[in-house]
Amino acid sequence: MSTLDLSPGVREYLLALADDEHIIGARHTSWIGSGPFLEEDLAFCSIAQDELGHAIALYELLTDDIDALGLLRDPAEYRCCELVELPCREWDEALVRHVLYDHAEGLRWQALADSSIPEIVGVAKRARREEEFHVAHADGVLRRVLFAGGDAHDRVVAATVRLLPVAATMWTSVDGETEALATGVATSSSADLAERWWTEVKVLYEASGVVLDRPAAASGAGRTQRSGHFADLHAEIRLVIDLDPNARW
Amino acid sequence: MHTYEVFLKKDGKEGFRHAGALDAPDWEMALLLARECYCRRGEGDEMWLVDRADLVVAPIELLEPNGDRPHRTSDGSVVAERRKQQRQVGGGK
Repeated sequence: MSTLDLSPGVREYLLALADDEHIIGARHTSWIGSGPFLEEDLAFCSIAQDELGHAIALYELLTDDIDALGLLRDPAEYRCCELVELPCREWDEALVRHVLYDHAEGLRWQALADSSIPEIVGVAKRARREEEFHVAHADGVLRRVLFAGGDAHDRVVAATVRLLPVAATMWTSVDGETEALATGVATSSSADLAERWWTEVKVLYEASGVVLDRPAAASGAGRTQRSGHFADLHAEIRLVIDLDPNARW
Repeated sequence: MHTYEVFLKKDGKEGFRHAGALDAPDWEMALLLARECYCRRGEGDEMWLVDRADLVVAPIELLEPNGDRPHRTSDGSVVAERRKQQRQVGGGK
């Protein structure tokens, strides 16, 4: 795929999704070999691979050197949200983030499915198909854990209450969104998507008897500032390339 | 948890082949997990899942061959030996 001639605003808009996909993929892969049971371990890491694949597909639209863009940028130049930067080292949190993120991701790709740029439509089409399975998987595991009751239920509900305010960071509008909407690159605003996302999440939990309070819109610097969790992860994903930044594979 | 046996079939004349097994709480989750665990690289165009509890498993004794029925297990070794001897004496043409 060749790099597209995109305006700075549209690049920024696409970069936000690309970085979210990259960082959530990297975070999910930390579960390789330590998932709750073998099948779930494999499925979760295969989903992580899909997310990394989506990131690569978007980076390829933005640059000819995806290593430099994906791995070697200064932390301040990343545009991921705080939700994907969290370590989520307990399975309850990892599962809840998977649910909250993938519902949002499906909607974000949908907003690109009728893009005015055909290359973006192509990438969005592939990603949306995979997202259907990711959401089915996330919902399936969540429902069963909530249905199981007891400690599993309580831990997942508690993790949801903790993560919902952080999940709101996904919907912080990025610089460039106005431009992306005006030029038809994207067809729904973050505010519209956030509404639809909340309805999906609310209905999903209510079907399992859990009533959630809607999180307030995220405040703060949004996607231009990294959380305290980013530095360690960034060092980790650069581990190999820093050995020899000029190596070609 | 249930254990499901996974069978995959490629498009064409090949039949379903056993691909492995997996644990899942029910058939819906089993389908999702099987997709991620066994079908990531186009290993199959069709998939069957069978709950192991639904399998009819034959008792081992049912399948033990009778040692006193050599006519059922002809492997051609008697004929091969005779032809070899015939070749050696030049009478096999």
